[in-house]
Amino acid sequence: MTFGDIKYRLNEFWSEFRKERSGLIGLGILIIALLIVIFEPLILPWKDVNTKWRSIDYWQDNSANAPPAWTNAFTKLKAPVTMRLEDAKKEETELDGGIKLVTYTFDYHYTADKAPLDVILHITGHGDIPFQVAIERPDGETIDLAQRFEQGLSGQDIRLSIDNDGREAAFTFVKNYESQEALEQFSGKSLRTADVLFNIAQPGMAKEFKPLKGTYKLIAKAMLLDPENSSVEEPYIVVTGSVSGILGTDDSKRDLFSGLIAGLKWALLIGFLTSAISVLIGVMYGIISAYFGGAVDSVMQFVYQIVNSMPVLPVLIVISAIFKPNIYMLILVMVLFFWTGSVMTVRSMALQIKEETYIEAAKALGAKKSRIIFKHMVPILIPYSFASMALSVPSAIVYESSVSLLGLGDATIVTWGQILHDAMQGAAILKGIWWWILPPGLLIAIMGMTFAFLGFSMDKILHPKLKTR
Amino acid sequence: MYKWFALKRVLKGIFTYIIIIFIMSVLFNTVNEQTMRASIEDQVRAESMRLKNMQPSAIQRFQQQRRDELIHLYRLDRPLLERILFRTWNTVTFNFGKSTIIKSSRGERDVITIIGEAIPRSLILFTLAAAIEIAVGIILGLKKAQKPGGTLDRTTSLLTMIVYGMPTFWLAMILIMFFVYQLKIFPSAGMHSVPPPQGIMYFIDLLWHMTLPLLTLLLIGFWGVSFVVRNIVLSILQEDYIMAARARGIPENRVLFGHTLRTAAPPLITISVLSLLASISGAIIFEGIFSWPGLGNLYWIAVQQNDIPVLMGDLAVTVGLYQLGLIMLDLTYGFMDPRIKVGGKA
Repeated sequence: MTFGDIKYRLNEFWSEFRKERSGLIGLGILIIALLIVIFEPLILPWKDVNTKWRSIDYWQDNSANAPPAWTNAFTKLKAPVTMRLEDAKKEETELDGGIKLVTYTFDYHYTADKAPLDVILHITGHGDIPFQVAIERPDGETIDLAQRFEQGLSGQDIRLSIDNDGREAAFTFVKNYESQEALEQFSGKSLRTADVLFNIAQPGMAKEFKPLKGTYKLIAKAMLLDPENSSVEEPYIVVTGSVSGILGTDDSKRDLFSGLIAGLKWALLIGFLTSAISVLIGVMYGIISAYFGGAVDSVMQFVYQIVNSMPVLPVLIVISAIFKPNIYMLILVMVLFFWTGSVMTVRSMALQIKEETYIEAAKALGAKKSRIIFKHMVPILIPYSFASMALSVPSAIVYESSVSLLGLGDATIVTWGQILHDAMQGAAILKGIWWWILPPGLLIAIMGMTFAFLGFSMDKILHPKLKTR
Repeated sequence: MYKWFALKRVLKGIFTYIIIIFIMSVLFNTVNEQTMRASIEDQVRAESMRLKNMQPSAIQRFQQQRRDELIHLYRLDRPLLERILFRTWNTVTFNFGKSTIIKSSRGERDVITIIGEAIPRSLILFTLAAAIEIAVGIILGLKKAQKPGGTLDRTTSLLTMIVYGMPTFWLAMILIMFFVYQLKIFPSAGMHSVPPPQGIMYFIDLLWHMTLPLLTLLLIGFWGVSFVVRNIVLSILQEDYIMAARARGIPENRVLFGHTLRTAAPPLITISVLSLLASISGAIIFEGIFSWPGLGNLYWIAVQQNDIPVLMGDLAVTVGLYQLGLIMLDLTYGFMDPRIKVGGKA
């Protein structure tokens, strides 16, 4: 078969396929999915999700079980969104004795009805540096929140959490407004710092939260005692809100949208690899079995029946539980079961083709068996297997996610099944954390639907009998 | 002769089962022997605890002797092939040994008892689901085939494709979240209320607990069935004798249910058994979401507790049930369609 032949047949196929609306929808979703995989680094809100999904440090600034940010549109009291502030105004002033004071000022526009959970300063430092964090409220009050002296830094990340480090300062601030009796009910520990900082300063503020909206200035000061050998860089502030990201977070504070995007490529890989390899094996198996016939056929049919009479998922679960395979081994195991899918149809078609006159002619010309199989049989039968290839993609994805759901997935990657496993572990059903359960399964279902659309459309074109009258 | 065909099919099924079990014995040999040795150690230690007033050396000698005895009893001292064959034989004869952690509801540790308890629970759920699925699927399929390309046909075909790759366990989670925790009309888990009510209420209680699992299986299952029924019926409706029946003025419903369904019966039975088998081979772990104490749930527990004997036993029984389903499939098929019994002469 030459290139021109392939082009002609593709054109012919496309002119038929174009008429199938569901097939086109499937193709569209598939192309979008592939584009997402290709441009994954641009889309991911958390860039290192692939390597740091199970790292605790990486996610520590998020809030746990936070609903998606857009849920604010449906609630009366708007919750603050988790935000990362990176644009700081930098000021450097020389002090006496060669000391340099570096001041970063961040602007935070606070418009929500609830207080953020925490405000966290991150800064990278070298040398011995005293740090100080302060907040300037819209009403003009400035509160010095926390101080810390770090010694012998060599590029570590300094993390100052206002909720922890600023608690005493917040309590002192409350004291200015609250009566003594009211204060006795509270201690420095039972107050949340952010509840004080974003509250209107008035008597009763310890009890009730009334948001003071406006622009807050978050000020981070670093004193470079020895400007030659010390420096600070890359400051940023994370305002931890109670809603977060496009799809919220789970109970380990992980951003679910990033996890789902990272899982897409694995779902596609599992689906494509498993179905492609197994269908190719199945087609070759069917052709060889049909072409050689006799004893070869009997043995091959016997092997086929043995494999075909094993329930896939139970065997897959036990194999995963015992051998703890990585994702490629799992794909291989699935291939060992999936290849049977297309054998019978291919075999019966190959039995017909075998009797065609051009095969006889090729034999009479002295063509080798391999030449007849690969030149005359495989090219005809491969296109027919495309439909079954597409239709076996969803089951591969579902099997992998079932195995992952039991906690037997490959722990070095992120898959949708693993996210669902974590959701089961975290009792997300009981707590009603729908943003943790709904999207992963929905994505599996959409992937399944996509390939079902493609598969059924191809099936209709390739097997015209199924067409409606 | 039908009985020769049946006998041949059954024997072939048993043979296939033995071969599958043999393959698994080879595959899981190492881990099986590790668990066995560990359990022998446990037993020896437990026995020597009971001994009192003995010299330490005597205890050690006793332990060594018991260990050798047990190792010999379980043939762990024999060559590899014999050990594998021995295990295959044990598995085929349902001699699964004792579990390491999991206990049956009466506290027994025999794997076969634990699994035996779970089998009927799974079967009742899956067969009932398959039965309803088939009934709904056939009716819907017939309606679809009557007007191919019509609104009903197209919308249901679209829905078939939409649920094609939907994971059962996920739908189960969503249904639980909605019906159990939002509407609060169904129980979240289990098979019975605690304590189980008596008499007729027992069955009502069982049904009440079964509704959500059944609904899950149905919502995923019957689309596919109706789609296949449609295709089968559609090809039959094009036959001449259907046209003849219609021409004679036989009512449409009788044409559908009398003439068409009789011809379609063998493939329909295939589909019904196959959909039952498919849910065993693909959806069984959804039981774990509902804590429905069947075979699928046992996989969850065995995996979490790392109870190898139960896991192996569960697998052997599931494979056996699957095999049984395949045999039943061929037997009924041969019964319904006499053309199949070609092998009967031998």
